[in-house]
Amino acid sequence: MPGDFLDRYSLGNTVCHRLPPTLKIVLAAAVIAGCALLPVAYWPAHGCLACLVFVGLSLAEIPLSYLVHRLALFLPLVLVTALSVPLSRGFAGGWEIAATVVIRSLVAFLAALWLVSTTPFDRLLAAMSRLGMPRLFSALLAFTYRYIYVLFDELARMKTAQRARTFGKRSAWQRWTATTRLVGLLLIRALNRAVRIHGAMVSRGWRGDMRTLD
Amino acid sequence: MHIADGILSNEVCLGAGVLAAGAIGLSLRKLNDTVSLRTVPLTGMMAAVIFAAQMVKFPLAFAPAYGHLLGGVLAAIVVGPWAGCVAMAIVLFLQMALFADGGWLAYGANALNMGVVGSLGGHAIYSIISRRFAGPRGKIAGAVVAAWLSVVAGSALFSVEFALSHRGGEFDLPKLFAVMTTLHSLVGVGEALITGGVVSYLLAVWPDLIDAPSRPPGVIAGLGRVVWTGAVVALAVAAFLAPFASEGADALEQTAERFKFDKFERTPVALVLPDYEVPIPGVDVSTGAWHKLSVALAGVFGTSAVLGISLVLGRVARTRLAARDAEATHAG
Repeated sequence: MPGDFLDRYSLGNTVCHRLPPTLKIVLAAAVIAGCALLPVAYWPAHGCLACLVFVGLSLAEIPLSYLVHRLALFLPLVLVTALSVPLSRGFAGGWEIAATVVIRSLVAFLAALWLVSTTPFDRLLAAMSRLGMPRLFSALLAFTYRYIYVLFDELARMKTAQRARTFGKRSAWQRWTATTRLVGLLLIRALNRAVRIHGAMVSRGWRGDMRTLD
Repeated sequence: MHIADGILSNEVCLGAGVLAAGAIGLSLRKLNDTVSLRTVPLTGMMAAVIFAAQMVKFPLAFAPAYGHLLGGVLAAIVVGPWAGCVAMAIVLFLQMALFADGGWLAYGANALNMGVVGSLGGHAIYSIISRRFAGPRGKIAGAVVAAWLSVVAGSALFSVEFALSHRGGEFDLPKLFAVMTTLHSLVGVGEALITGGVVSYLLAVWPDLIDAPSRPPGVIAGLGRVVWTGAVVALAVAAFLAPFASEGADALEQTAERFKFDKFERTPVALVLPDYEVPIPGVDVSTGAWHKLSVALAGVFGTSAVLGISLVLGRVARTRLAARDAEATHAG
């Protein structure tokens, strides 16, 4: 798996990337919470927050095509949920609520995207644990993040092997059971791997907490 | 299924966050007490497995769309309820932090609907059923029923959260409840099939991995009873009361007409709620007949599908195990 498969663009070198991660977390949290606390249809403030987020994203040099791609996956769900408000009133009212819901979701989504796209995940985690995240939780997050890459490679190898063994037209049921076995086998291999990793960790002095260099 | 920010009100987000934090904190403490040093590798790896498994696409027979696993019940069955709950919390956190899948404010609600209910509640249901029916059949039936119920319970919880967020009469909780549980009784069949299939595969190739659940700890057993009763009551409400509720509304309208209470006039509620990659076009439940029919159909379909899956998978696993045993005796 390519190294930027999970948090793309986080390794750039712009003004936003160079800001301290703690500050970036506080900024993003302030924007998200501020937008949530604004009253319905308070457009000037909503507009300001949206502008702020867009300025941040363009300063971080995140390509527009990437944003459009992410928004295309995100917006339909939010739009439909928001539209259910006027829909439930027979399209006679509720448009302001719907628009506020969309703006809030959009600003929160883009602010979160800005935070992740400007901060490598390990530094994000370190900053979060400085801000009070439980140590065990951040250790678990770091471990999981590391092994997602390994398991995706494993899954890709297993799929290739499966394709190499089976060809020709198969029924939906056969494809379904084959996929079930894929998941089951991935689970078995991963748990065996976890046992080996645990042994390796203990032999290197694992005492139950993650130690970092900074 | 992931709730974005702005959908739920701040109060509901806060309440759900407190509940989820309590459940996750309790699970972390239980884990640290029992497995201590193995917590991080075992639970972290389980979270990574669920993360990867959620990306595996399952072909749907009738549609050119794909379904995928949620995984709360599967995780809880393999590594236990506490580790399962923590693993789901980790998965949802990573999806939120890396993909902006689900909002930061709504994390508590997401963790509650998909993580806590799926792993703690699902494991409780699984252990109740699998202790009643011994052998692989009980385990598979427990996994299938728990997976189906966890999806339906999660959707029911979401509709309660959504209705609480938008009080002031825009939404009619019984109708929202009916639409959500109807849709998710179908979605849940996929989850039940996948979870049951994986569990029966695991039982066939590594039976010791999933050992019989011992007596569940007190909290879990209590929660199990609550979830079990809650799910049954919720389904009963959806199946029986919702049609009557709409009838009641009609009756109210007639009364309003008779007494010329114009303010009682109701606009029909039609909701369009998408799920996963399959957007489901407008389901208009305002007309009584379709409404009752859909709810009744969902109940009947869901129950019979879950029963059928358990029976078929149980039989498959039994024959597979029998074949294995025969092979072993032959070889020995």
